[in-house]
Amino acid sequence: MKYLFAIVILLCAVLPAAQPVIPIEKYSLKNGMRVILSRDNAVPVVTIYMIFDVGARAEEQSRTGFAHLFEHMMFEGSAHAPKGMHFKTVESNGGTLNGSTHPDYTDYFEVLPSNKLAVGLWLESDRMRSLDITAENLANQKEAVKQERRLSFDNRPYATALVDHWPQIAFQNWHNSHSLIGSFEDLNAASVDDVAKFFKTHYAPNNAVMVIVGDIQIPATKKLIEEYFSDIPAQPKPDRPDLSEPAEVKARSEVYHDQHARVPGVVIGYPAPVRHSPDFYALGMIDVVLTGGPSSRFQLNLVKGKESVIQHQSEIGWPFASSTDYKNPGDYAMFLLFKPNFTPRQIVDQAQEEIAKIQNEGVDAKELERARTLLRSERITSLQSSLRRAQLLGQYEILDGAPDLINKDMEKFLAVSSNDMQAAAKKYLTPERRSVLEILPAPPKAEGAPALKESK
Amino acid sequence: MAQRIDRTQPPETPPIPQFKMPPVHEARLPNGLSVVMLEDARFPLVSIRLSFQAGSKFDPKDMPGLAGMVAGMLTQGTKTRSYRALAEELTSIGATLNGNASPDVLTLGGSVLAENTGKLLDLTADVARDANFPENEVQLRKQNRKQGLLAQRSQPSFLAREKFDAVLFGDHPYAYIAPTMESIDRMDQKSMVQFRDTFLIPNNAVLLLVGQLPGHAETLKLVRERFGAWIEKPVPAAPAKTFPESKRQLVLVDRPGSVQADIHIGRLAATRTDPDYYPLLVGNAILGGGASSRLFIDVREKQGFAYDAHSELDRRKDAGAAAAVTQVRNEVVEPAMEAVLGHLSAMAKTPVSTDELSDVKNHISGTFLLSLETQASLADQVDLVKTMSLPNDYLEMFTTRVRSVEPAQIQAAARKYLAPANSAIIVVGDASKIQKALGKFGTVQVEKAK
Repeated sequence: MKYLFAIVILLCAVLPAAQPVIPIEKYSLKNGMRVILSRDNAVPVVTIYMIFDVGARAEEQSRTGFAHLFEHMMFEGSAHAPKGMHFKTVESNGGTLNGSTHPDYTDYFEVLPSNKLAVGLWLESDRMRSLDITAENLANQKEAVKQERRLSFDNRPYATALVDHWPQIAFQNWHNSHSLIGSFEDLNAASVDDVAKFFKTHYAPNNAVMVIVGDIQIPATKKLIEEYFSDIPAQPKPDRPDLSEPAEVKARSEVYHDQHARVPGVVIGYPAPVRHSPDFYALGMIDVVLTGGPSSRFQLNLVKGKESVIQHQSEIGWPFASSTDYKNPGDYAMFLLFKPNFTPRQIVDQAQEEIAKIQNEGVDAKELERARTLLRSERITSLQSSLRRAQLLGQYEILDGAPDLINKDMEKFLAVSSNDMQAAAKKYLTPERRSVLEILPAPPKAEGAPALKESK
Repeated sequence: MAQRIDRTQPPETPPIPQFKMPPVHEARLPNGLSVVMLEDARFPLVSIRLSFQAGSKFDPKDMPGLAGMVAGMLTQGTKTRSYRALAEELTSIGATLNGNASPDVLTLGGSVLAENTGKLLDLTADVARDANFPENEVQLRKQNRKQGLLAQRSQPSFLAREKFDAVLFGDHPYAYIAPTMESIDRMDQKSMVQFRDTFLIPNNAVLLLVGQLPGHAETLKLVRERFGAWIEKPVPAAPAKTFPESKRQLVLVDRPGSVQADIHIGRLAATRTDPDYYPLLVGNAILGGGASSRLFIDVREKQGFAYDAHSELDRRKDAGAAAAVTQVRNEVVEPAMEAVLGHLSAMAKTPVSTDELSDVKNHISGTFLLSLETQASLADQVDLVKTMSLPNDYLEMFTTRVRSVEPAQIQAAARKYLAPANSAIIVVGDASKIQKALGKFGTVQVEKAK
């Protein structure tokens, strides 16, 4: 079924399909920048989404947090749009913007009234062509990033354990296991030269994908893109770090005493199957059955039933990526907050017991059909947003080279059978492959003492 | 390649387009239920909002948080459906349905694949009319709410907002942003049933449907079949709109171990229906409404004191509040406070520049347009107009009203609501690290974080 223009409304009402089809036009400029256009004229809104093939996992030792620090530098000005002008120009044209750093990519977006498209293209091309890298801006953004670390991690419950400790438990390769937000020491050590080199290598047009989704005319948009971007020179392809994990899975566990937490929590994770393999889709459906929606097994059996778990979240790629946006290797992880009259061990056992039921009995037809409907309605709901469509298209291009997965992956989830889930649960979700991080409220402590950490 | 554009300048573009409101159809059932329908054919979805004038301001005096608890409990079981039955039915039709209480309004909101609209209406009616608060579910919710409250209390932003609202709203029920451990203890099935029977009545409600609807007559028929026999009752009165005078007070909530100070500076301000509202809205945006606002540019970008520095308006039905908010590292509390207070004063002292004003009007108009992109956000906006008693042309005229604001009006509104002489200052942080610095701004009243 086509994406919803006025003409197909009647069809939609009578023919439920997996999801609306998103139109995709993909091509490359001569400098290697990939472009994906998706037109939808229903509302006068356009999203410009730039995604670069570099994330925190590509950082070098002694430069933890650098990818994120660099992301901040992208807002500090360029040759014709000096410091402050990026924010000001987007906002004074009625738009919103942001950037974010992920394990495997870094992205930037502007959402604008659609007749302001050219303004966004001008800004994005100016900073790709001529980012202004100065010592003053770098010093200032190091402070902003440290403040962000204090606000979003150091002063909050659970967050420090998740960013600094969980990756070390889930992964063995340094690229996968180091802290994404980085240490103050490494942030301080970053130099202007580091920034300039990183920019030239990783922010070249041939390391980027530009996605434009929304109320556009295709020929006019192509012409604008050509004029703004096509003469930015390509650079040699950067080396990619080896992210592979040792073949032998090492189950690990740790207890973290959290000074800010008041309610105990536990993270449970298992190395995930290869992205987009049949087992990946099976695990995705297992996750829906275990934790998706109000009738999930965790909700019915643990939150209700045993009355042990208070809140749960889980996903392939959790906590810093999601099932749609990570590179191999990934993990399937869940975070459970629970009542203090249970021990972390009991909670881990209860979660494993729910997994064992799938391993032993599979999932009956009715429950499987519910899981499919839930997944389908969540996808349709999320696709309403032009930004969400752009993110999926860009991420599938950068990570898989296949933006049309946006139209194809749902069918693969929906085709998963009970047997597939049973087999995947047996293969991947076993206690031998399981890593655990307990995050427990720290006892009252002497002023200034550091958070306690112990290994089991 | 031939150069056809000037890449040294931002390109010229046309003005931001106006928001075109889709036609709204309204009806009222004989029992007083207001029904509002909007056709939105973009997605095979329908969004539903059933909203009651039953927000947390209607909580009994000794039971703050009851409306929120009732809202959450509505979907935990009815006379004919257990929690499990309800949850499985919702999932099987691709629907969500959740209860939520704001300070003014209790809303049952959800969405559904369009082909199942009638079934979601069945469940909405069942939940609104016949939720029966099963004893085991009540006990579980109380226990989990207490743990949730503990978790909330570990967040400095929660502690700051809690104290800020308590100081601003005084004896009015708006003063509570959450239940207390004691009020949760007092709640039981009886108090919930009583709240439901008093407030969840058709003549106190608006039912909104947005999406691929089966035509207005047919939709109204679906509604009548499910809600027509619901019996109307007298509508209870809202609490008196009395609020304390705004005055300068400096409260430090001591949270040992905090590496930052969470600062709120503000006072009571205009509501959406106040003539000062649009000047205040525009002025607030110039002060701290985004990444090109004065607070962001100075406190974050220039001084590097904070990651976040912004100002916000809390717009309730019977009162509003304006607050400047930032979280700064302990060592810079004093200069950061001076900077924020300086910007608040400047808004009242000096008229804003023409450029600043035109930029911010564009920003507000554009983001308003963007905010109506999804069906859920369109439904929320229309629900807001209906439940907050805003004029019918509120959404259509929003941008025009924003664009008509003059610098002198902003300055007058800033004198009333932003100038900090009578503003409360609430800080959450480690008293042993920051109390001395705060002392320079007045007498510090220190309270332990609970």
